Amino acid sequence: MMSPLLMILLAPAMGVMLLLWLPRQEIRLIRRVAVGATFIPLLTALWVVTNFDRSSGGYQFHVEVPWIAALGVGFHLGVDGISAVLVLLHAICAFAGVLISYAIKERVKEYYLFYLLLITGVFGVFLSLDLFFFYFFYEMAVIPMYPLIGVWGSDTKEGGRVVFSKEYAAMKLTIYLTSGAVLALIGLLWLYVSCGAQTFDVVALEEHLRAHPLDARLQWWIFPLLAVGFGVIAPLWPLHSWSPIGHAAAPSAVSMLHAAVLMKLGSYAIIRLPLNLLPLGAQAWLPWIAGLCTMNIIYGGLVAMAQKDLKFIIGYSSSSHMGYVLLGICALTPLSLNGAVLLMFGHGVMTALAFALVGHIYDETHTRSLPELGGLAKRLPFIATCGVMAAMASSGLPGFANFVAEMMVIFGSWDRYRLQAVLAVLGIVITSVYMLRMVRGVFFGGANESLAHAKDAATPFARLPYVVLIAALLIVGCWPKPLVRLIDLSTRPLVARTLAPAQPLEVHIAKEQTSITQIVR
Amino acid sequence: MNWPVVAIELAVCGWIAVLLAGDALLTPRFAGLERGKRQRRLWSLAMLGIGVLAWVLGWQSRWLGQAFGPMFLFDGFAFTFKWLFLITTAVVIAMMRQANPLAITHLGEFYLLIFSALLGMLVLASINDLLLLFIALELLTFSLYVMAAYVKTDPRSIEAGMKYLIMGSVSSGFLVYGISLLYGAAGGTGFEALRALLASGPAGPNVLAGLFLVLAGLGFKVAAVPFHLWVPDVYEGAPTPVVALLSVGSKMAGMIVLLRLLYSVALPVAAVWTAVLAALSAATLLYGNLAAIPQTNVKRLLGYSSIGHAGYLLMGLCSGLLSGAQAVGFYLLAYLVSTLAAFFVVMIVPGDSLEEYNGLSHRSPFLAAAMFVALLSLAGVPPLAGFVGKLLVLLSAVESHRLWLAAIGGLNVAISLYYYLCVVRRMYLLKPASSKPIAVDGISRAVLFLLLLGIVIIGTVQEPFLRLLSSAIAF
Repeated sequence: MMSPLLMILLAPAMGVMLLLWLPRQEIRLIRRVAVGATFIPLLTALWVVTNFDRSSGGYQFHVEVPWIAALGVGFHLGVDGISAVLVLLHAICAFAGVLISYAIKERVKEYYLFYLLLITGVFGVFLSLDLFFFYFFYEMAVIPMYPLIGVWGSDTKEGGRVVFSKEYAAMKLTIYLTSGAVLALIGLLWLYVSCGAQTFDVVALEEHLRAHPLDARLQWWIFPLLAVGFGVIAPLWPLHSWSPIGHAAAPSAVSMLHAAVLMKLGSYAIIRLPLNLLPLGAQAWLPWIAGLCTMNIIYGGLVAMAQKDLKFIIGYSSSSHMGYVLLGICALTPLSLNGAVLLMFGHGVMTALAFALVGHIYDETHTRSLPELGGLAKRLPFIATCGVMAAMASSGLPGFANFVAEMMVIFGSWDRYRLQAVLAVLGIVITSVYMLRMVRGVFFGGANESLAHAKDAATPFARLPYVVLIAALLIVGCWPKPLVRLIDLSTRPLVARTLAPAQPLEVHIAKEQTSITQIVR
Repeated sequence: MNWPVVAIELAVCGWIAVLLAGDALLTPRFAGLERGKRQRRLWSLAMLGIGVLAWVLGWQSRWLGQAFGPMFLFDGFAFTFKWLFLITTAVVIAMMRQANPLAITHLGEFYLLIFSALLGMLVLASINDLLLLFIALELLTFSLYVMAAYVKTDPRSIEAGMKYLIMGSVSSGFLVYGISLLYGAAGGTGFEALRALLASGPAGPNVLAGLFLVLAGLGFKVAAVPFHLWVPDVYEGAPTPVVALLSVGSKMAGMIVLLRLLYSVALPVAAVWTAVLAALSAATLLYGNLAAIPQTNVKRLLGYSSIGHAGYLLMGLCSGLLSGAQAVGFYLLAYLVSTLAAFFVVMIVPGDSLEEYNGLSHRSPFLAAAMFVALLSLAGVPPLAGFVGKLLVLLSAVESHRLWLAAIGGLNVAISLYYYLCVVRRMYLLKPASSKPIAVDGISRAVLFLLLLGIVIIGTVQEPFLRLLSSAIAF
């Protein structure tokens, strides 16, 4: 039987191959191929999550093929609790995204080619346990964004004037992400050369570095290269400016993947590589990054409040929410890290839903500007219901996955970063302000006469992607235990490993303190 | 005398004679052929020559050894790169099938010059003597001078040939002067004498001066800063097949001479040349890629980008490590397939201005896709060949503890991606000026498809190619 992980990775890749040979007029067939190429991974990802052996933990479902012997590169796939959840997230969003892409009418074949290439790349990053292939798929996921935004995107207009052209947005996004990737690549190569293990395999490196830890000074230098390099895509403040513009310019199905999974590549990469491999560097740098991600939360939220364009509101809100994820990572307690991974899932699904909705509204009304919209709840009852639910989820109302996750992040980081935790709570208030304002402005209030022709998503098929996404949000929100347990399997050892080198010091201090108190007595 | 060792060179000489005879006999007066048919016959004759040469080279693999005393080496290194030169020439000749709009007259002599350039490159793969190095390099360069100026009706072509001639003569001067200094110190022109000299103790100033003058002469060939000035004008003016030969064949020839000279002879003084080459590599990278940004002519753009790639090649070279030399070999292979594919598209698309590429994806989806893949491979995007080349070169820079150089190399990946994407933007995002489709004939389509397949295969299944080149580059 074929390995499930290989199946997840190969299904969209085979889709690309198949599309290359299909004639461009066969639009129905092309769409079916794309749906099939994302539905198989969805089923397989569900199977992987349910069949993950919870008693043993670690990396599972390995696929190992030696690739470049001279360098120690191997094609190594495997998932642990963290990546299994993210693979599921990506599978859900990719499937919903392909369904949402039915709105694309021109150059359909090329669109699905690039879209499936993007999906393959993201799966590859989440599944790879080899630095070479990790980077390989990472860069492969970034580049298709350029044509996807450039060809099928839309310019950002304000009062009929183009503020950001889609070409500018696409170029800025690609150059930012590639620069970050290259920065991280230099860090990875430095790590590879200086650890002397002659392997790119993450698992082997983990073991090697546990036995022969890297010099603390070296860790101090390499950690920021990796954290900032991957942080660009997360998007870490102040390197986030590519992201809202990119969201706004991209076609809605691409915005969905962009916000839902592409950003998670950054936070996932930070957990998997620098945090995992460079514990001393992590302890030195994490307080600084915690400070930056508080800026993400507050700054992103405040800027979102000031926006009129729906996609910009959600775009800045994404960068604000990613601040919680990064804060959870920085706090480095099992609780906060669990929360961070769960929030990656919750926010991913929520934001995919939000961008899908904005896409539908834009297709129907040809505007995304808040002042021009209003009263759509009467015309589009289904979309409005979904929209309200997305806003509720985003503001962290109980019942949705985001609530559970944000609570875990804030409680988990209380011990280490008290000020940041307080500011994060403030961020929730800001979120609810702009989310409620958006719901009021789009769905309620006086109806604009020019919007009378807008149509709801009527057929069950058109409603399917929204239903899938809301179901995922509600199920995980009401019953988070299975996913949290799965994540917990991998975060607990990770936290223990990362904090381990510091413990002798803490124990030492504790001993000193007790001896001092004894002396005082 | 061990004749089979030089079998391929003899075969090229023989085929030059065949081409001459063919050119003389396939005339309208003699064979009653009209012009188009005559051109096709000559093309078939040249292509047949490549086939014969490939067969000879395959047969020759059993006869590794030396010839002309120790002057000429036929080892694994030579064998591997002779194959690459043969492939390059085959693609260039394949381009000539579409080259009729170039208005090249005297097509027979043109093929003859391609073959004499090939002869120069084949010998360069085998050199083990400074004098032979000079002769082979001049043979290659002289053929290219004439070919660059071949379109006599086009002033830009004449200018290109003239500029290339003047700059090239200066570089030959450097080379000869360096060789004479080395000869004076070593008492012989063979690499053996040189190796003994450099290994014997600290090198004197005259030896180092000689070495650097030779490096300067070769720097012209690979288009490294500060010897790059001829590149943009010659690339712009010369006929496209010639530019492809110049950009791939000539650069690869210069690079493998550097590899052999530096890694098999000059390794004892590595401390000196690695530092100099590292500085040149940084300057070359920055200059080539930054100057490529404002270009409006596709051949000039590729010219500047080829300067940038020389920077990456030097980065691998300056590591002073065997793994760096092997990285250079892999980079050359990746550069070969990607650049040839890019120039093949440039050859077919009428006009060299970047404006002509507006909306190419509407006029010919296949050509646009081919250019897209070739350019992204040059930029170093996975899963394409260029990515692995860049990765290996950067790795060798980190291994030799030149993180600053790796950082500059990384920065230039982003810069080069920018201007390559600007071309992609024109092809996919902008509207075409004319909606006239561009016809691609079957042979061009097949060759281009093979090149693209090569780009993808080298980029995804790297192991066999890496092993092949590593076993070749082990002095």
